[in-house]
Amino acid sequence: MGVNDEPVAGMSAETTPAASENSAAVSVPFAPSKVSIDRTVRLPSMTFCLARHAQSGRVFCGGADFGLHSFDPAAEKPETKPLSEVRHSSYVTGVVNAGGTLISGGYDRSLIWWNAETGEQLRKVEGAHDRWIRSLAVSPDGQRLATVADDMRTKIWDTVSGACLLTLEGYDLQTPQGFPSMLYAVCFSADGRRLATGNRTGKVLIRDAGTGEIQQTIEAPVMYTWDPKARRHSIGGIRSLAFSGDGSLLAVGGMGQVGNIDHLEGKSRIEVFRLPTGERVHEIEDSKYKGLVEKLQFSENQKWLLAAGGDNGGFLSAWSLESGKLLAQEKLGNHLHAFEMLSDRTLVTVGHDQASLVTLSAG
Amino acid sequence: MSGQRLIPVPSGLVHPAGVSRRGFLGGAAVGVGGALATDMRGVQGLRAEEIAGELRRGEKHVILLWLAGGASQLETWDPKPGAKTGGPFAAIPTNVSGIQVSELLPKLAQRMHLTAVIRSLNTKIADHGGGADLMERGRPDDPGLRYPDLGAVVAKELGRLESTVPDYVSLYTSTEGRRKGTSGFLGARYAPLFLAENMAPPNTGLHERLTAAEHQDRAALRDLLSKRFTAEHRGSTVGSLNSAYQRVQGMMASAGLFNIEQEPAEVRARYGPTQFGEQCLIARRLVEAGVPFVKVARAWWDSHGQNFETHLELCADLDHCMSVLLDDLQQRGLLEKTLVITLGEFGRTPGINASLGRDHFASAWSCSLSGMGIRGGVVHGATDAEGQTVKDGEASAADLFATILQAVGIDHTHEYMVGSRPTPLADFGSQPIRSVLV
Amino acid sequence: MLPDPFSIFPLRAVTGSVVRCDFAPVCRLLLVLALFGPLPCAAAQTADPDPVAVLIDTAIDQQNTAAGITIAPQADPDTLLRRTTLDLAGRIPTSRERDWYLQLPAETRQQQLVDRLMQLPDFEFHLRNSLDEMLLPERPNDGEFREYLLTAVRERRPWSRMFREMLLAAPAEGPDKGAAQFVRSRVRELDDLTNDTAVLFFGVNISCAKCHDHPLVADWKQDHYYGMQAFFHRTFTSKKNLILEKPFGGVKFRTTAGADRDAVLMFLNGAVVTDATPTYSDEEKKSAEEQIRRLEREDDAQPVPVSFSPRQALADTALADQQQQYLARNIINRTWARLVGTGFVDPPDQMHSGNPASHPELLQSLGTDLVTHDYDLRRLIRSIVLTKAYARASIWTTETPLPAAQTFAVAVARPLTPRQLSASLLIATRTSESWPAVDEVTARPEEWQKRRTDLENQANGWMREFEQPSRDFQIAVDEALFFSNNDRVQNDLLRDGGDRLVNSLKTAETPQQAARLLWTVACSREPAEADTQVVVDWFARAAQRREADVQALLWAVLAGAEFRFNH
Repeated sequence: MGVNDEPVAGMSAETTPAASENSAAVSVPFAPSKVSIDRTVRLPSMTFCLARHAQSGRVFCGGADFGLHSFDPAAEKPETKPLSEVRHSSYVTGVVNAGGTLISGGYDRSLIWWNAETGEQLRKVEGAHDRWIRSLAVSPDGQRLATVADDMRTKIWDTVSGACLLTLEGYDLQTPQGFPSMLYAVCFSADGRRLATGNRTGKVLIRDAGTGEIQQTIEAPVMYTWDPKARRHSIGGIRSLAFSGDGSLLAVGGMGQVGNIDHLEGKSRIEVFRLPTGERVHEIEDSKYKGLVEKLQFSENQKWLLAAGGDNGGFLSAWSLESGKLLAQEKLGNHLHAFEMLSDRTLVTVGHDQASLVTLSAG
Repeated sequence: MSGQRLIPVPSGLVHPAGVSRRGFLGGAAVGVGGALATDMRGVQGLRAEEIAGELRRGEKHVILLWLAGGASQLETWDPKPGAKTGGPFAAIPTNVSGIQVSELLPKLAQRMHLTAVIRSLNTKIADHGGGADLMERGRPDDPGLRYPDLGAVVAKELGRLESTVPDYVSLYTSTEGRRKGTSGFLGARYAPLFLAENMAPPNTGLHERLTAAEHQDRAALRDLLSKRFTAEHRGSTVGSLNSAYQRVQGMMASAGLFNIEQEPAEVRARYGPTQFGEQCLIARRLVEAGVPFVKVARAWWDSHGQNFETHLELCADLDHCMSVLLDDLQQRGLLEKTLVITLGEFGRTPGINASLGRDHFASAWSCSLSGMGIRGGVVHGATDAEGQTVKDGEASAADLFATILQAVGIDHTHEYMVGSRPTPLADFGSQPIRSVLV
Repeated sequence: MLPDPFSIFPLRAVTGSVVRCDFAPVCRLLLVLALFGPLPCAAAQTADPDPVAVLIDTAIDQQNTAAGITIAPQADPDTLLRRTTLDLAGRIPTSRERDWYLQLPAETRQQQLVDRLMQLPDFEFHLRNSLDEMLLPERPNDGEFREYLLTAVRERRPWSRMFREMLLAAPAEGPDKGAAQFVRSRVRELDDLTNDTAVLFFGVNISCAKCHDHPLVADWKQDHYYGMQAFFHRTFTSKKNLILEKPFGGVKFRTTAGADRDAVLMFLNGAVVTDATPTYSDEEKKSAEEQIRRLEREDDAQPVPVSFSPRQALADTALADQQQQYLARNIINRTWARLVGTGFVDPPDQMHSGNPASHPELLQSLGTDLVTHDYDLRRLIRSIVLTKAYARASIWTTETPLPAAQTFAVAVARPLTPRQLSASLLIATRTSESWPAVDEVTARPEEWQKRRTDLENQANGWMREFEQPSRDFQIAVDEALFFSNNDRVQNDLLRDGGDRLVNSLKTAETPQQAARLLWTVACSREPAEADTQVVVDWFARAAQRREADVQALLWAVLAGAEFRFNH
C-alpha cells in the first residue's frame, strides 16, 4: 500500500534527503522528470506481488515458485532468500504487511499468515475463496484484509483473528459471452473507509469498507477486449486501482482495446475518475508502451500518478494529474507486476524475473 | 411433395394427378428410349430423421475438434503441477485411477474412461501454416504433391459414393488461421463442405421463383439431355458431373441438419450458448445422419500473451462442449461408431514468457482420442518433468494418422497411386499406436 | 558431360499395354525436314499441310499402326468448330461463326478457322489465361501478372524470353513489372520457388530429392534438388516489393548419410554452373548484410551491388541446354496436354528416365523445332490444332477397348476451365443476333476488341464459382448446387430480355424452332431428333410456353454434360 499505509515516522526515517528536499521546496511541489534504475535484483521466479516490511527493512515478494522471498533493498548487492520451506501450492499473487505480520494469497485459493522474521506459518485459511485469489489489500490501520478472486467475490478478513468478516458479491460469474469472468483488483482508500474492486469486463465497484454496501459503480469497458470474430475469446480487464490520498480521485489501470489478442499489444491505459461524481477526468493511453497497467499509485501531493506494467517488456511511467501528460517514463526490465514506494522518490519494482530499485528525480 | 403446382401432361398419356415429373419423363422417354432409374425424392419430402434412420446402419464417423492456434498440453492433457514450467493450474484426478489432467478439464476428467491421451507427439514443425499442413495431412507438405487431409481420406474411405449427405463437413467460423482444408489429389469429390460465415451450407435453399416440383422437373430434364453424352464419353471426370447433380437433392434435404433450431430446447441447453457448443451439436446431428467426417475448428488458442487467462476461457468451452458431445453420442449409441479427436497444429512451450504467455511448441505435446476403436482410460507416452522433451513413446504426425485410421477400421498402409507414385494413406514408415487401440 | 537424349528416353518394346516399334529412322528424317526444310506459314486460303502437324501425325500413326490400334474417325465439323474455338478463343463459337464456318470448303475449313481465330483478341486472352492458370494457379486474379502475360502474348514474345523475364524478375515499369510475380508469389517459400520453377518450366518434380535421393527416379539426387535451390537461395524481397538478390551466400544441406555439404549451382541435366561470386571480406559481408536488412525494412534504401546473379545463371544454363531442352520440351508437352488432354509425358511434371515419353523422338524433334523457331508458341499451337490427332472424334464406338490415353487414338472430353465456362455461358444465354457476323468482326476489329474485352471482364465475375480442373478432375457437388439454386444463375444467366436467348425461345413459332435455336446457340450443332422431341414434350405439358419452362429448358442444357465439356 506504499506511502498510504506506512506510519509517517517510518517514512521520514528512511527518506531524510528526499523529505528534506521536499519540505525545503514547499512552494514547488516535487514532480519527477526522470526515472533511473539504481540496482537490480535477480528473482528466483516470475514475481507478481511484494510488500515492504518496515520492521525488518526487507521487501517480501511472491510469485510463480509458490513461495515468498525477501531481500534488503538497502543492501549494496541485494540477495533474495526464501521466507520458508512451506509454500502455497500455486502462484502467489498477493502479499501484504498487516502490522508486522505478512499475509499472502494465491491461485491455490488459500491465505497464509506468516511471521516475517522466523518464516513460521502462523495461520492458513484453505479455501478462502472458491477460485483463484487474484489480489490482496490491507487497510491503512492494518486491521482488515480485502481479497478478490475469480469466484467473483470480495472478502474482508480480520487480520488478527483470521475471521472472514464480510463476503461480498456484485459481479457476474460469466462474461456476457458466456465465459468465466475474473476479478483482478482491489484497494482501500487512504482513510480505510472505502474499498474499490475491478473485474475482467471493466466494472468497478466502490463500497463502504465497513459494511460492504455498494456506494458507486464505475464502468471502464475499454479495458476489456472481446474478439467476436477472429479469435473468439477475450483479453484485458481492470488490473490495478488506486485512490488518491484525499479520496477524491480513483485511478483505474489496464489495457486499451487490442487488435490481435494473442499478445498484450493494446496501449497501456489509465482512466482517472473524480469521486463521488464519477466524472472521468483523465483517459490516458500510452502510445509508446503497450500492455497492462498492473500497479497504480498517487503521489503524496496528489499532483501525479505512478503506473507500472508492460507487455513482454516493462515500463514505469509518471503522469501529471493536472494535464494528463507524461512527466517521466522508463523501460524497466521485463513486464512489471507490482511496486512499492520506499520513499516519495524511491521505489522497488518486481516483474517477470527481476526486482529494480528505482529513483525518481526532477531534472 | 406437398404444395407443388399441377403441371399439365402431354396429351395421350395418363398420369396420376400431381406426379408431374414422372409424367413428363414418361412422355420424354418415348423419344429417347428409357426413363431415368434414379429415385429422386422430393426436396422437402425427406426429413432429417428419415435420413438418420436410413443411413445409420454400419456407418463410421470421425469428429475432429480442431484446437486452432495450438492449445497448451500443460493446461489440458499433460499437466506438470509444481514444475517450473507447470503454470498455476493444479492437476486433478480423473475417473480412471492413476490418470490426472489439468484442473481446467473437470468434466472431461469424469469421462476419462472414454478417452485415450497421447502425451508424446513430436511433430517438429512449430509455425502455424506448416504445423497445420502437417497435422491435417499427417505428413510434411510436399511442393510436388497435394496431399488430402484427414477429412478427405476418411470421406473417401468411409463415405458412400452415392451418399445424399455431405461426406466431409468443415466448420471454421473464426477468421484467424482459417483453413478450408483440402482433398488434394483425391479431387473435388472429397473436398470439404466448408462453412465459415453461415452455418447453413450455401446454395441449398430452393430459389423463391421455383417450386420443388419445378426444381425436380428441371433436374430430370437435365439428366435426360445429358444422358447420351455421358454414355458416349466415358471417364470419371465426365461421370462426376452427373454424380454431382444427383447429390443435389440429398444435399438440399440435408441442409436441415445444420439447423439446430430443430433440436429440442433441452438438448440445445445442454450444449450451451457458445458457438463451439452449437457447432458440436451440429456435428452430432451430421454424424447421426451419416456424415463420415466433421471438423469443428475452435479458434484461437495462440496464447503468446496471457496463456492462463486464455486457457481459462477456452478450456471451459472445450471441457463443457466435448463432455456434452461424448455423452450425447453415447446415449444415442453413436460413440462406438464415432471417433472424437482433439488436435491442433502444435502445443505450447513449457517456458512461460514475460507476457505470461506460452509460444509455439511441437516437440512434446498431446492430443486425445475418444470413442470408436479407442481403448479409453489410457495414456500413451510421457514427457520429462518439465515437459520439454518426449521421454517415452514418441509419436509422429504419421503415427497419429495411422492410429486414427486404424481406429475407424481403415488400413493405413493402403496405397493410392498418384501418377507413378505410390502414396500410402498414412505416410511411409508410420506405426499405429497400439496401446490406445482396442 | 551431357547424356545423349536418346539414351535418356530409350525406346522400349512394350510400355504398359501400348506396343511401340522403333521408328527412329523415319523420325530422324522428318527431323531433318523440320529443321532444314522450308516451313512456310500457310496462307489462309490454301490447304498446305503444316509440316509440324504432319510430323506429329506421322509419329503417332506409325506407332498406332505398329501396335494394331484402331483410331477414331475425325470429329464432325460442328464438334471440331466448338473444340477449336474453345481451345483458341477460350469460348464456344457464336452461331454466326458457325454459319460462316459451315460454308467454307471442307479441305481448308480447319485451317481457315484456326487462322481466323488466331488473329482475334480472343486468342490472346485465352493464351494468356492458359499461361496464367499454369504458372500462378493459386492466384487466379493477379492483375499485374495477367497484364504482363497479355502484353507478352500480344507482342508475340518467344517463350524463352518470357521465361527469362519471369525468372529474372527484374524491376520494370509498365506491364512488364508483372513478370516478377512468378518469383514474388513464391519468394517466402524457397522450396516452392525451387520446385515450382522445376515443375512448371522444366517438367521436373524433384521435391522427393529434397530429403533423400529420389526413391523412384535414378536421375534425381539430393545434389539436383539443392543445386536448383542454390539458384534461388539469394533471392529476397525489398520493402518496396522488388525481387533482389544478395551478393553472396549458398545452400548447405545434410545428405542421407549425414554429411554436411555445400550445394553447387547445378542444373537438372547435371551441368554445374561456376559460381562467379567474388570473395568478400568479413567487413564487406557485414556491411552488405546491414544494407540488405535496411532494404527489407526501408523504402528508400540503396540496392546492394551484385556482381553474380544465380537466377540469371539458371536462365542462361536452361536456355543453353541444347541436348535435353527441358524448357522447350516442357512447354510443348504442357501445350499438347492442354489441347489434346494428355501429354507425351504424363504426368507432365515427371519428365525423367523412369517415366519415358510416349513418343520420345517426336518430342525431341518438336523440341528442336521450337528452339529453332525462337520458341514461338503460336507456331506450336497452330501446328497442334492442325493435326489429325487433335481433330479425332471423342466418341469411341468401335468394339475394341478404349485405347490408352497416350495413343492419342481418340479425343478426350476435357472439362472447361472456369474462364472458358464463364465466357461460354455468357455467349450461350444471348441471342445469335447479339453477336456480330464474321465479316463484321473482320471489318471492324476494334469493335470486336472492345466487345471481347467486355466479355472477358464479365467472365471474370463468374469464374470464381467454378474450380480449375486438375488431373483426374472431379466436378464437385458445390458446382451442381450453385447451378441449381444460386440467385445469380436464376436472375442473371436465365434472365429474360431483348438480347437474351430466353426471349427468342419464348417467341419462337414452334417448339421445333425453339429447339433449333437453343442447340445451335448453346451446343453449336443442330438438335438431334431426340433432342427436338424432348423440347416438344417439355412444352407440350402446358397450353402456353411459359417463361419458367423456357428458363428450365435453357438451364437443363447449360447445366448438362455436353455444355460442360470440351469434346
